[in-house]
Amino acid sequence: MQHGLWQSVLGEIELSVSHAAFTTWFKNTELIEQSDSSVTIAVPNIFAKRQFEVKFNSQIKAILEKNGVSPDEINYTVRTTGKRTTTRETTAPPEQSKTRAEELIAPRPTPSASTNNSGLNPRYSFANFIVGSSNDLAFTACQAVASTPGTKYNPLFLYGGVGLGKTHLMQAVGNEIIKKQPEARVLYISSETFVKEFLESIRFKKKGFSDKYRNVDVLIVDDMQFIAGKEKTQEEFFHTFNALHQSNKQIIISSDKPPKSIPTLTERLRSRFEWGMSIDIQMPDFETRCAIVETKASLSGVELGRDTIEYLANNIKTNVRELEGALNQLLAYAEMRGVAPDISTAEGLIGNVRHTRPQHVTAKQIIDKTARHFQIDTKEICSAKRDKHIVVPRQIAMYLLRSELHLSFPKIASELGRKDHTTAIHSVEKIEKAIKLDFLVREQVAEIREKLYA
Amino acid sequence: MELSVTQENFTRALGNVGRVASSKAGLPILSNILLRTDGNRLLIAATNLEIASTHLIGAKIVTPGSITVPARLISDFVSSLPKGQVDLKVKDNHLHITSSSYSSIINGVASDEFPELPTIDESSTIQYSVNTADFKQAVSQTIITSSNDSTRPVLTGVYWHSFEGNLYLAATDGYRLSERRLVETKSDVAAIIPTPTLQEVLRTLSDDTTEVDVLFDETQVRFRVGDSEITSRLIDGNYPDYRQLIPDTSETNITMATSDFVRITKIAGLFARDSGGSVTLTADQEKKTLSIHSIASELGENTSSADAEVSHDGQVTLNSRYLSEALAAIEGDMVSFRFSGKLSPCVLTTKSDDVNYKHIIMPLKS
Repeated sequence: MQHGLWQSVLGEIELSVSHAAFTTWFKNTELIEQSDSSVTIAVPNIFAKRQFEVKFNSQIKAILEKNGVSPDEINYTVRTTGKRTTTRETTAPPEQSKTRAEELIAPRPTPSASTNNSGLNPRYSFANFIVGSSNDLAFTACQAVASTPGTKYNPLFLYGGVGLGKTHLMQAVGNEIIKKQPEARVLYISSETFVKEFLESIRFKKKGFSDKYRNVDVLIVDDMQFIAGKEKTQEEFFHTFNALHQSNKQIIISSDKPPKSIPTLTERLRSRFEWGMSIDIQMPDFETRCAIVETKASLSGVELGRDTIEYLANNIKTNVRELEGALNQLLAYAEMRGVAPDISTAEGLIGNVRHTRPQHVTAKQIIDKTARHFQIDTKEICSAKRDKHIVVPRQIAMYLLRSELHLSFPKIASELGRKDHTTAIHSVEKIEKAIKLDFLVREQVAEIREKLYA
Repeated sequence: MELSVTQENFTRALGNVGRVASSKAGLPILSNILLRTDGNRLLIAATNLEIASTHLIGAKIVTPGSITVPARLISDFVSSLPKGQVDLKVKDNHLHITSSSYSSIINGVASDEFPELPTIDESSTIQYSVNTADFKQAVSQTIITSSNDSTRPVLTGVYWHSFEGNLYLAATDGYRLSERRLVETKSDVAAIIPTPTLQEVLRTLSDDTTEVDVLFDETQVRFRVGDSEITSRLIDGNYPDYRQLIPDTSETNITMATSDFVRITKIAGLFARDSGGSVTLTADQEKKTLSIHSIASELGENTSSADAEVSHDGQVTLNSRYLSEALAAIEGDMVSFRFSGKLSPCVLTTKSDDVNYKHIIMPLKS
């Protein structure tokens, strides 16, 4: 209403003054208050205020009256951002100025700077991280880092697939450190932010880029793999890394692959990443998944039946985030429809979720994908050859056939052109053992599995 | 309007006021100067809608009135006239100017199209009277570090504010910072004055004025220098809390002759043009020297050193231009220069117990 009134005033005035005068004086004006006796108009500066008071007042008044508003007086006020520039009484300094100062020049450490700008989400803590056999090593290492940052495992390199809790763990470390030493400067960024800010610093010749990263006590970089292939950024990160490492500042890095397997990561960065401790976070096992579902459900104040929990844990195996999503979906659905979040509701819903992840993997697909992963021919894998570069993939294929499709051993043997099922038994056992001991095998199995369900 | 003025007064007033009139503004009348009788004086005024500059000169008024005329033309014309009396007369929006054997008619525009000049209610303002020399020094010391990056408007001005009973001026462009204590104050002030305004005030100062009056209002500031007044808008926004950036103590404290420091900085700067002005300063406690090293990859390199009192060995890399400007702004024969390592801010002050000017420079990454 007020807006419309002022628009019609402007419309009429535009016709009566020159274009230049109109854009000079009436741009950025606004009717901000209207009552029976007075109208207040906000103008951009003191010059405009004076001009309105003296030159345009009668004209505006006349137009307002034409529009059915006849105020006794029209007030003009200079628009400010709500701050009084000058006061005679002593007032407290504006609070926000503190946080704005350190973007000004390289900051000196201030408590407010570390907490407000660490980029951490306080929601992530060690307390709400669910530990299972797949991630207990990573969890312990992170706790060690949090208790004595910069000394024990530096850098700490966490890797694993999506939605397995890398970000949660890293942020938990940051939050824990801040909790213990509020003055510590913790900075959490994604490598993408790093790249972006680096590019900006080049493009706009901004300074202070490296100061921002080199003046911290703990630097946490998420999703390091995105830095791959960006040579200059890697170089800058390399220097940042060295500066921090040399002054015993803690560095925590996460990635979806171990440093070795990130292509186009420069050699010197790779060797540095492998310097400290690199730990993989595995997909959670069944028990851990059950625990996750149970904990998350009870956080939402819902008690789920054992069978429902197991159903969810059984059907979503590879990604904790997805698991939580399915649980949230179930809870929301149950609440909206007013039904119990039991197994039948879950079955109805998870059907939808599962669509994104086709489960109908065939034995042939497993063998093909395994062969392709090792860059050998499918024929060779099914042949009787006993060369080492064929034997291992064959054994892995057998293991996968067993673990993914639960085929019988004789069936596994025949799929790979073997007559004797004991070969299959031996192979599966061997790989099961190797997975526990050899990280390379574990890695390969995980990658093939990912390809299968991709 | 009909009146007589002296050429000396009139040309000085036009010179002061005319700089503000701008031909670039969207409103054509802003490139004009307003002439208006005010009692028995002549008011000469111009504005660019950020700054309004006015000047009053004595005149023999025959009939009161007003007109606006193009700033460039009238300034150039009047400054070319011989000294003595100049007669002004307005007839149908034409200004007739006659002086002994010169006469011209300038086509003007009626003064009611000229923007109203801002008024200030003096009773509601906070006022300071500052010695001209102090004013000049304080403003020149601070405007050099104000920013011209329009994306951060608050940094494009000088922050006048009260702090612990004193009025301070501060300015920063993000790479360096300067702070100057000006006068004592009992009121609370926090105002960001645009740098161009202050430059304009500096230009208006002449040797025969001893005091500058500064009047702060909620949204504007007015400087009064003799018969001249410059009124300006203030920059809206909160100035960052810069004080936390000034270190209280530093690892390496150096005291040396300002002239020595200026010389070695200038020499080192010659070899730092390639590297964007980057020079490395090394303080040696044993040898009692401060040396500056700079390399120009194609031209050669340089190391200059000078005697200095050094509390602790240290090294820091700075932009030589910033350093030169800082040294030029610091008064006194002896300068105190302190820093802590390669990353913390460096502080330059005069060597004195009562320091009223601090200049802070951020080191470059070497």
